[in-house]
Amino acid sequence: MNPRLSLGLLIGLCVGLGVVRGDFQCLGPSKARKVEISFWNGFTGPDGRTMLGMIRRFNQANPGVLISMQRMDWATYYNKLMVAAVDGRGPEIFVIHASTLPRMQKAGFVADVSNLFGPSTLPREDFDPYVLDQVTYGDRIVGVPLDIHPQGLYANKDALKKAGFDRLPVNREEFVRLASLLRKDVDGDKRPDEWGFALTLWRNNFQSLMPQFGGRFLDENGNADLDHPGNIRALEFLGSLGKDKLVPPPENGLGWVGYRQKKVAMVFDGVYMLGDLKRLNDLNYLGGPLPQLGDRPGTLADSHVLCVREGLPNEKREAVEKFIQFLSENSIEWADAGQVPARRSVRATPEFQAMPVQYGFSKQIPYMIYPPRINVLFEFTLEIDLAVEKVMRGRSTAAEALKIADQNAQKFIDRDRAERVVKP
Amino acid sequence: MTYLQERKLTGWLYLAPFVVAFTTFVIVPIGVSLWLSVMRFDLTSRESVSFVGLQNFQDALKDDYFWQAMKATLWFAVLMIPSMLILALSLALGMHAMNRGRNVVRAMLFLPGMFNVAVAGILWQWFYNGEFGLFNFWLKGAGLAPQPWLSDRGFAMPSIVLMSLWWSVGGTSVVILAALQQIPKQIFEAATLDGAAYFPLLSKITLPLLRPVLMFVVVTNTIGAFQVFGQPFLLTRGGPELSTRGVVQYIYETAFNNYRMGYGAAMSWLLFLVIALFALVQYRFLRRGHQ
Repeated sequence: MNPRLSLGLLIGLCVGLGVVRGDFQCLGPSKARKVEISFWNGFTGPDGRTMLGMIRRFNQANPGVLISMQRMDWATYYNKLMVAAVDGRGPEIFVIHASTLPRMQKAGFVADVSNLFGPSTLPREDFDPYVLDQVTYGDRIVGVPLDIHPQGLYANKDALKKAGFDRLPVNREEFVRLASLLRKDVDGDKRPDEWGFALTLWRNNFQSLMPQFGGRFLDENGNADLDHPGNIRALEFLGSLGKDKLVPPPENGLGWVGYRQKKVAMVFDGVYMLGDLKRLNDLNYLGGPLPQLGDRPGTLADSHVLCVREGLPNEKREAVEKFIQFLSENSIEWADAGQVPARRSVRATPEFQAMPVQYGFSKQIPYMIYPPRINVLFEFTLEIDLAVEKVMRGRSTAAEALKIADQNAQKFIDRDRAERVVKP
Repeated sequence: MTYLQERKLTGWLYLAPFVVAFTTFVIVPIGVSLWLSVMRFDLTSRESVSFVGLQNFQDALKDDYFWQAMKATLWFAVLMIPSMLILALSLALGMHAMNRGRNVVRAMLFLPGMFNVAVAGILWQWFYNGEFGLFNFWLKGAGLAPQPWLSDRGFAMPSIVLMSLWWSVGGTSVVILAALQQIPKQIFEAATLDGAAYFPLLSKITLPLLRPVLMFVVVTNTIGAFQVFGQPFLLTRGGPELSTRGVVQYIYETAFNNYRMGYGAAMSWLLFLVIALFALVQYRFLRRGHQ
């Protein structure tokens, strides 16, 4: 082929692709311009459908704004969000967990939304101070908590009834008794086929018990304190359930799936799992606060936080603020997807109090703890994972496992501190 | 423009799309990763970006998790490469000996390799599931105890290797089969007339003549084994107790979960050196044997 013709074809192809990439905007009929807002989150379950419904309602009520939602599983989401944000291609509004906020804040991607908090917009006193603390950095509030999702107890109502319980166990004695009573060898092969209790996500199960035994993540100076005596006692308790064969062995792989299949009567998990249970027609369930297994009540929690990208033009910023206010004010709808609203006023409504599981979980708000506010949370949590795994597999004592976890976690914290020192 | 100039220009025009793509997606990323490996580059802190020389490499060599991941990778390679070689060779020999139905068998063997690793991973997650998985269903049916395929430290890596073999043995066996079909039949006929039995034929004729292909298979499978990521990531997420977390997964987590791009890039270069070293040693070793 003639080289000039080839070159011409190549250039023509590039121009053609460029026109296609431009969405034919210059060729199509002009239409009323909307403020387009991209909204990213990790709501891939039933909660995503609820959120989509809320967005549709908002878009209909605000014809000048078009919110489009993109959702992906949380692990992938965080990777993509960070890379997109670094490159300046991040969404205008996004949801992150309060526990991951320190890294986004450190990266400078989240805008100050303090202006959203006011008597006529989002009254500060309508949020629990502890929850608001999680999104506050100095005098800046960098996100609006949409919900609170504590860990709690789910139980199979029918199984509990057979053991003479018409409610959830509330203390250690009741819990252990039920775990023991409901463990059954149905087929007579000397191996239990049904369990009273099973661990779900080990790390969360352990962290939920930490405050009950007086444990903590960090000391007063922000150093790792994973080998705190309270944490050791909490992990020893979990380990004892394994030793006493009150939970399936680690290789069994039951847990949430086992609970859904009625092979496990009780599990600890987050309120967000309610969406999954609602889809089951044949499971009669109860949900509420964790039983008090230690010296005091306690549980682990986190929040979905609505964040705004730093540096938005006014037009977009206004649209985003309107949307945030809409979501927050209508969070009773969000609660129906299996969440506890962050707004006190919403939680006080009869509508919310008629949601038995969500309302039950919300009773833990006064004594819940959030994961530590550190930049190295993923590495820190991995150490907790490993410690719990070693103990549950009987490969280490709680004290030894947590000591190693503490030493490693401290290394990550020290490294982060050293790297935060800006060189002159 | 002279004829020669036109020819030259035509050549470059044909090459241009590839050169642009290769430069953009291979040369530039290699350069960037080399630059990153000597930098402190935390995605969450632009202020921290600074030149650190070989510090990232030194840190990696002192990092217990790096060595643990390297050990897991080596364990995978040790289990995978010989199994792959023996199985693929056996299958190729079997297919070669078939008079009918060879194409059907070859297609069936090749089929799993057409699946994306995510599809294969999800399928095998179900096979291995402790409660309602296919393998334990069969074991229970045979009156045997169910096995912790993925949740026991001793079982997890062999289980991953088994899935990897199922997924990739077809491609390798087809390559070996193609090489077998290239060996002139007259050689076998002459040896048979001289009274050679099957095993002497295999060891004295088939294997020596297959050596170049086997060399290729071993080297490419070694490179692939050291880069293992999808299978353990989908089946075990690196557990139990990080026993199946390979180097690539550790690099991925370092760079994209912990946002330490510089450190991740340095570990990538260390992995590259290890792979290059192994490939070179194998190549030399097999080549020397051939000569």
